[in-house]
Amino acid sequence: MVVCTGCSLLCEDIELVLKDGSISQAKNLCRKGYAHFQALFTERTRPTIDGKEVSLDQAIGKAAEILKSAERPLLYGWSNSSLEAQAAGIDLARRLGATIDDTSSFCQGILMELVLTGKVPTCTLDDVRNYADTSVFWGADPSNSYPRLLSRFAYYPRGEKRQKSYEEERICIAVDVRKSATARLCSNYYFRVPPGQDAEFIESILAVLDGKIPRFGDKKRMIELGTVLRKTEYGVLFPGFGMVSSLQEKTDLLVRLAAKLNEMSTFKVIPIVGHYNMRGFNQLLLDETGFINRVSFQGGKVIHGPEQSVMAAAKNCDAALVIGADPLSALPFGTARALAKTSLIAIDPRQTLTTNAARVVIPSAMYGLEAGGSSLRLDGAKIEFEAIFKTGNLSDEQILTRIKEAI
Amino acid sequence: MEVEVTIVAFQDIFQNEARKKGLYTDEYRQLSAQIILDKQDMTRLGVKDGQRVLVKNEVCGVVVAAKTSDDEPHPGLAFMINSPWSNQLVRDDVCDTSIPGFKKIAARVSPSEENVTQISELLQRMRA
Repeated sequence: MVVCTGCSLLCEDIELVLKDGSISQAKNLCRKGYAHFQALFTERTRPTIDGKEVSLDQAIGKAAEILKSAERPLLYGWSNSSLEAQAAGIDLARRLGATIDDTSSFCQGILMELVLTGKVPTCTLDDVRNYADTSVFWGADPSNSYPRLLSRFAYYPRGEKRQKSYEEERICIAVDVRKSATARLCSNYYFRVPPGQDAEFIESILAVLDGKIPRFGDKKRMIELGTVLRKTEYGVLFPGFGMVSSLQEKTDLLVRLAAKLNEMSTFKVIPIVGHYNMRGFNQLLLDETGFINRVSFQGGKVIHGPEQSVMAAAKNCDAALVIGADPLSALPFGTARALAKTSLIAIDPRQTLTTNAARVVIPSAMYGLEAGGSSLRLDGAKIEFEAIFKTGNLSDEQILTRIKEAI
Repeated sequence: MEVEVTIVAFQDIFQNEARKKGLYTDEYRQLSAQIILDKQDMTRLGVKDGQRVLVKNEVCGVVVAAKTSDDEPHPGLAFMINSPWSNQLVRDDVCDTSIPGFKKIAARVSPSEENVTQISELLQRMRA
């Protein structure tokens, strides 16, 4: 059995048959996971400086030189690294007086903060499998992003208290701006929300739960939704980026909704996060600094705020180390362009737009495939994984240690 | 002819798989460089499935293939799979949450004779 690091479900039941250094048979991998494993064999990076291939030692040396001479370095990425590498990265940031931020900064970090600081109640995915009778996918489409969430935990399995499962005991609700694959599965329990109006939708649910007439949406449908939520014994809200993007600074409404639902029943919140160890980075940085992301160690202090987010820091830094992320593909044009023009160091196992624009590229091992380590699952469970291919590529943790030694 | 739309970016497992096969593959470009439009908007633009359109706003512009939505009617609302193509249209001036508007991109769509924007061109623009 091996662990799949293709998403933050970190499925531990993967069976592989390896033959001549490749995968000849695979069991339990979803489409996303299979693609993740096959990625081991395509578009791997080579060590380069200014586009010319160099030795690994030279690339690491150049990265150290750039970071050492930078006045405002940014260390960004981290959600696709092991806990051990993330800890090494936070230590490097502290030593450099750098800004450190991860991918949660411009996506679900604001939700993860609510969970990690105890502002909303949460549970494990095993609790979901054993007890949940209602799962609400809100601005999230796990059929495309977390393909086995429904089959392993939220809908299909026969859990301890849910032996009749999806046939009789479980329902799934989708709240989304589009009829996603998950929304189609939810059928009559799909609720469409226009872009940017999730706050109004939550206020309508709160009104219905208070016995008032909702001001937003189809009144009959909103009352139906309120009835389902009232009848729930153990519910789980799975908010995704769609909700965050719509609510922006109004996430207190999610806190209010969770509190209201818990007056009537048991309701938990598990954010659908992006990469396989985003939660790990958020937890580690929170433990170290009191903040889940957007931290600067400049002047030996801990400074936190929007100015320390990758969105702002990309424009103010004079060097950036990007690890296991592709901001040039994932961030808005202006931010990506600012990063492309700085002294960019990319640590990545595979080619990306970011590695193609970087001054220094350092190839790394793929976690779970070529390197072992540990990670926090979507729900905070710590999962350990081993290397299954021996390729000799250094892990992120080893590369960061080498950079620190060189500095 | 030009149609004003709000674009919502979303994730797609098939495009994710294509990305893992290769950044420069035809499959990844074909799945990424497309915009899903309401049937009524397709008619207004006079384009059919697979025909090229320019999607443009004050940030940037990309030429992508048009595709008819199979969802309930949603004129004025369009969808793009999240990718470097959609992200070139996203504004970077954000509010205090620092969350860009990936899911609420204002843009104008018009028919185009240009080729679909290549990923190498997207990278060139960032490095220019």
